[in-house]
Amino acid sequence: MISRSTTFRFAALVFFLQVVAAAILLFGVGALLRSQSRTDAVDLAEASRADLLTAHARGGTSALAEEITARMNRPAERSAVLFLADSQGRALAGNLSRVPLGLAESRSYTLMHLIPIGQEAPEAMFVRLTALPGGGRLVTGTVVESERQLFAQMERATLVAVGLSILFAGFAAFASTRLILNRLQATIKTLDRVREGDLARRVPGDGTSDAFALLADQVNRTLDRVEALNAQLKLATDALAHDLKSPLTRLQFALDNLSHIVDEPGAQSAVDQAISESGRLLAIVDTSLSITRAEAGLGKESFRPVDLSGLLANLVDIYAPMIEDDGRAIVLDAPSTVTMPVHRQLIEQAVGNLVDNAIKYGAGAITVTLFVRDDGAAIQVTDEGPGIPEQQRAKALARFSRLDQARRGGGAGLGLSLVQAVAHLHGGSLELNECSPGLGATLILASPNKAS
Amino acid sequence: MAQKILLIEDDPTTADFVANGLAEEGFVVDRANNGRDGLFLGTDGGYSCIVLDRMLPGLDGMAVLAALRGAGITTPVIILSALGSPEDRIKGLNSGSDDYLVKPFAFAELLARIRLVIRRGISVAMPETVLRCEDLEMDLLARRVQRGGRVIDLQPREFRLLEFLLRHVDQVVTRTILLEGVWDYHFDPGTNVIDVHLSRLRKKIDDGEDKPLLHTVRGAGYRIGAQP
Repeated sequence: MISRSTTFRFAALVFFLQVVAAAILLFGVGALLRSQSRTDAVDLAEASRADLLTAHARGGTSALAEEITARMNRPAERSAVLFLADSQGRALAGNLSRVPLGLAESRSYTLMHLIPIGQEAPEAMFVRLTALPGGGRLVTGTVVESERQLFAQMERATLVAVGLSILFAGFAAFASTRLILNRLQATIKTLDRVREGDLARRVPGDGTSDAFALLADQVNRTLDRVEALNAQLKLATDALAHDLKSPLTRLQFALDNLSHIVDEPGAQSAVDQAISESGRLLAIVDTSLSITRAEAGLGKESFRPVDLSGLLANLVDIYAPMIEDDGRAIVLDAPSTVTMPVHRQLIEQAVGNLVDNAIKYGAGAITVTLFVRDDGAAIQVTDEGPGIPEQQRAKALARFSRLDQARRGGGAGLGLSLVQAVAHLHGGSLELNECSPGLGATLILASPNKAS
Repeated sequence: MAQKILLIEDDPTTADFVANGLAEEGFVVDRANNGRDGLFLGTDGGYSCIVLDRMLPGLDGMAVLAALRGAGITTPVIILSALGSPEDRIKGLNSGSDDYLVKPFAFAELLARIRLVIRRGISVAMPETVLRCEDLEMDLLARRVQRGGRVIDLQPREFRLLEFLLRHVDQVVTRTILLEGVWDYHFDPGTNVIDVHLSRLRKKIDDGEDKPLLHTVRGAGYRIGAQP
């Protein structure tokens, strides 16, 4: 999962390139120096060899031996390896004790570890064996021991440097990832605030015109569109409310007037029924509008800190006498004070709907419980009735659905949809659970700041 | 002298109903069908109450209200609105209106609320300690209720309900007025929850008495008082 994240990939790429660059730089320089050192050593030895061969050609073996001994005494030839043996292999001159074992005549130089005369430990040197006319053997070469030690030190230093560069590469990867995140943070924050209901918020510009600014610009344009659509929705629902309610007002007035005029008992009951049906029609329109507005996130500007336990105590107080008259009971189980910002009227209506459902479709005692959670609060209404079978619960939440056509509770099947819409408006959800026996309906409210 | 009401409402049908109803109740009604005329009449003063539609041609209802309050007119204002969402209601109440009624409404509801805001305007809130209606007496300090010497034992919620009724003796209070006034609850439960409260209270107050005090007003609500 993490390996597929773009920031992770980017960080990994930065890291990899950094390490490769450091390795090439450090090991490359080492290899270059090493090869240069070999060339130098070979050139030096070749120059000596040419001189010595000239001496041999001029004066034979004895002249060569003299030349070698003379050279051995010169400080400039300190690193030189020179050795002359006769045809039987006896040493004649030079700073080796014998012809190195395993050194065959060759045109090239071989790296060997030999102990020169006067030294105790073997030293690294490039050597070449030349067979002289007349059976003598000449060994020429250059000691490179100090360079070898220097290279070994450099190698250790290089390893440390590569280690450090890995560290730096890690840091660079981390820093570049953070940089990306920081650039995106403004956009993320803005979207967060918009989702919470501040539709007018936009990503602030930072004066650049890079990819991030381009993204912010696109996000802002999309938010403009969302805000416009939302405003249109609000206008449309307000207009709908107005257009539907004005005739309903007139209808109610007319019926009101009528009820004062008619004396005949039969007509009176018909008028009463018409009044109650028009009231029901209004309630359906009202609730539908409330659901639409809540689901669209309209109304967040009305959030105020409300003591939820006080609100629930009030609600239980209002419903208690009617429930008690039914021979049932309603109990409140809430901590003393839980205050969080909510849409008070909608919470009242939502919990009222849950209690109403428990009255109409439930049985036994009704319990209203308030839980404080890490992310807000939850209000649960439980009863001891038959509940709703699990496979029907999704249907129970759908708009205009009633589970049982025989249930004529007077609602239009909007009750739970409204509760759900109110939950969504508060960043929460509505859960229906089995509470053996009975149904538990839990309204979860997420708090932007933790409930206190 | 009859009390004068200013009705600012552009919908002629609604205006007719309301004006006729108020006239029948003995009020003198002046009408304006747009915001500009309404503001002109309203600043003239002399009204006991202004009933103001929120959506008006010309000058919007909220603008009329703001202009009235800006001009120092303190006449109680009841806003009528088709916008029933709680935030609209809060906005309306916050901008200086005395009450807010959502369309459609029963005329009795409007009438009850008009009487309430007029009464509220007259009676300078005296810190009363004893409320009375005939031989029913409520001592707010001792939290004791008695009727003709008989002590009535009330639950806290019954006490609050009776207190609200006694503060509005002889006035019709609707179910929604009770929900708002007693419980500060702005959602009509739509069932008979309030009726149960009232019938319990009635049982305690009126049972065994010759003269019932708590009356049900058909199609409107309740009234406490001597008159049946």
